[in-house]
Amino acid sequence: MSDVNNGISRRSVLKGAAIGGVGLAAGGSLLAGCGKKKVTGDVHFTIRGNLSDAGAKINVAVNEAYTAKTGNKVISQAVNSDDFQNNFVQIMQGTPDDAFGWMAGWRTNARADAGLLADVSEQVKALGSTLSAAAIQGATNPKDGKQYIIPTTYYPWGLHYRKSTMQELGLDPENIATWDDLIKLCEATQKKGLVGYAMGDKGGWEAMGTFDIINMRLNGYQFHIDLLNGKEQWTDAKVVDVFTHMGQLIPYMNKNFLDIEWDGCRDLLLQKKAGAMMMGSWFANDFKAKSQADYDDLWIVAFPEMNPEHGIDSIDAPLDGVSVAANAKNVEGGADLAQFWGSKEGIDAAVAAGDTSIYISSEFDTSTYDAFNKQKLAVLGEAKNIGFFLDRDTRGDFAGPVVGPALQSFLKNPKDVTKILENVQKQWDALPAL
Amino acid sequence: MKTATTNKKIRSRRSLSRNDKFTLAAFIGIPTLMQIIFLWLPALITIVLSFTYWNGINVSDIKWAGLANYKNIFFGTPVFYEALKNNLIWLLWFTFIATPLGILLAYQIDRKIKGHKIYETVFYIPVVLSLAIIGIIWNFMLQPGGFVQGVMGRDIGNAVSIWGNYSINTYVIMGVASWRHIGYIMLLYLAGLKSVDPSLREASAIDGATEWQTFKKIILPTMRPVNIIIVVITIIESLRAFDLVYIIYGTSTAWPLLNILVFQNFAGQGISMKGAAYAVILLVLCIGPILLYLRNVFKEDLK
Repeated sequence: MSDVNNGISRRSVLKGAAIGGVGLAAGGSLLAGCGKKKVTGDVHFTIRGNLSDAGAKINVAVNEAYTAKTGNKVISQAVNSDDFQNNFVQIMQGTPDDAFGWMAGWRTNARADAGLLADVSEQVKALGSTLSAAAIQGATNPKDGKQYIIPTTYYPWGLHYRKSTMQELGLDPENIATWDDLIKLCEATQKKGLVGYAMGDKGGWEAMGTFDIINMRLNGYQFHIDLLNGKEQWTDAKVVDVFTHMGQLIPYMNKNFLDIEWDGCRDLLLQKKAGAMMMGSWFANDFKAKSQADYDDLWIVAFPEMNPEHGIDSIDAPLDGVSVAANAKNVEGGADLAQFWGSKEGIDAAVAAGDTSIYISSEFDTSTYDAFNKQKLAVLGEAKNIGFFLDRDTRGDFAGPVVGPALQSFLKNPKDVTKILENVQKQWDALPAL
Repeated sequence: MKTATTNKKIRSRRSLSRNDKFTLAAFIGIPTLMQIIFLWLPALITIVLSFTYWNGINVSDIKWAGLANYKNIFFGTPVFYEALKNNLIWLLWFTFIATPLGILLAYQIDRKIKGHKIYETVFYIPVVLSLAIIGIIWNFMLQPGGFVQGVMGRDIGNAVSIWGNYSINTYVIMGVASWRHIGYIMLLYLAGLKSVDPSLREASAIDGATEWQTFKKIILPTMRPVNIIIVVITIIESLRAFDLVYIIYGTSTAWPLLNILVFQNFAGQGISMKGAAYAVILLVLCIGPILLYLRNVFKEDLK
């Protein structure tokens, strides 16, 4: 599929050359894309986020490092992340930038199946053993066994808190081993006038993290993935049980959880107004951007065990990376830039710019990790099964339009759980076959 | 010779010259063609697509779904009824509160009460802003960490819940939307009132009618054409409401409207033709008022 859309793929160039003059008439730029020859030409790159964000600055730094290395100019533009995701299909069918930061899982694979993303298997192969087998597996589209994203970083979803806050409260979150411990922690935090369990679900996706982890803890990874792929029923007592537990957390949440989004949660933690927050560690960059002291104060622990059968063997750890648009003007250039992102030089540039992400590449020297990153690795290391987060583990016409509103209605009216789950199941059943 | 040319001129003035025909054809034809291409064609395609399954990418993937999307919406999607309820509240609020307020304001200002110029300007200012801008302004004021919260000394942690508080958020949104709608209606009505013959009002005053009687029995009936336009505008504004709420809530349907559902299901994360079905439902709801409006406009022209 991508060979058809991507006019300057290697095969079509070779075919053109074989025919003769036609291939030559296509010009030198096509031939330059061939083989291991140096890739040239400007590359356009979409940054998801605001240019003023810490993350966007890191993006720019990596792209500048690529320009310094290859002499190829990179034109970066920042696009609101939600807008980019919402209009992704339209953008990809129009005149997309060559490369862009993207997310592995359903969002990549489904769009690759539709021919919107360029095959970067070759670049993944070139990065070779620097990528772990698990990372390559995670980035591989199960339908055709190819990669459409160069995996670069990942991060764990866990309970985040500030060491100083917990110390002042005389609490030790390192020892929350069970669900009861977590509830006790929330209760104690709340008693001191802080938010026990920071929640912001105005965006509709934030609460998915809490749902994911409780489901994986109670019912195991396999049940969770099966549920998200229609092999289990949402009306199952096991799912009701997940919501019952989620409901037990509601009294400890900030009352305005439908007023704030994830960044509101982050600010609660940053301003020492909340105890624990279930979130992906990516926001640590913002702590670092605020001050080193704030960053050093941040800590993460795994969500506690809820069912001895499953222990803490699963975690949401979304895999991020760089994808290349099949319709791009400079696919070869985009792929080359994507490969640079996954290489040692790219990672070094990102880290120098203040990136706190965990890199997949084995060339990255983990001994230089700071304490927080080492802790992230430790949290990840405790898990055998890696989920990608609900909106990457299930189809897009289900996650956003169905599960998102269902979680919001549940947080609003926990008593309606039976009705809510019946409706979720009904809407799953109504989805067309893929 | 001379008479012949003048005759020709007169004739050409009566019947259309080739040039005139061309101009007329261009004036009517081009807009009609654009309407067909950019409005009717997409509308028809949307209607057809609402009976299919499709992810919006490859045309070859379109599969016939029959009424499945509609069944899904009517029987499986509770958020649809929430959206319908919100659109209905919007409509009722505009019809019974915002629009009458706008009319009354216009009436008072038209009577040249003291300081009417100031009132006119004050109420008119929000009209120059688009609802999207109004959304940005009020969201900035009321959200946690926003201006109003700051003035009240509330930070994010203990901010007064407004957008997420379901016992008040509807009214706050209605208030914000009315902030503009009242001025809009006032302006329309004021323009209509200017064309009312002042002698009518004088006559009714001489006959000893009260202000309310004059308004009800004289002004309202003479303003019939404007009234109908205002009714139609109120209905359409309520049904097509989108931007204000989208700015505040995004696509998360925390406070759903039909248009938000259309957008959410058409947008890239999960394109499905359920979005097309929502659009068709909205079209059907809108078409009544539009027909009413068109009929009125044509009647005016015939007169």
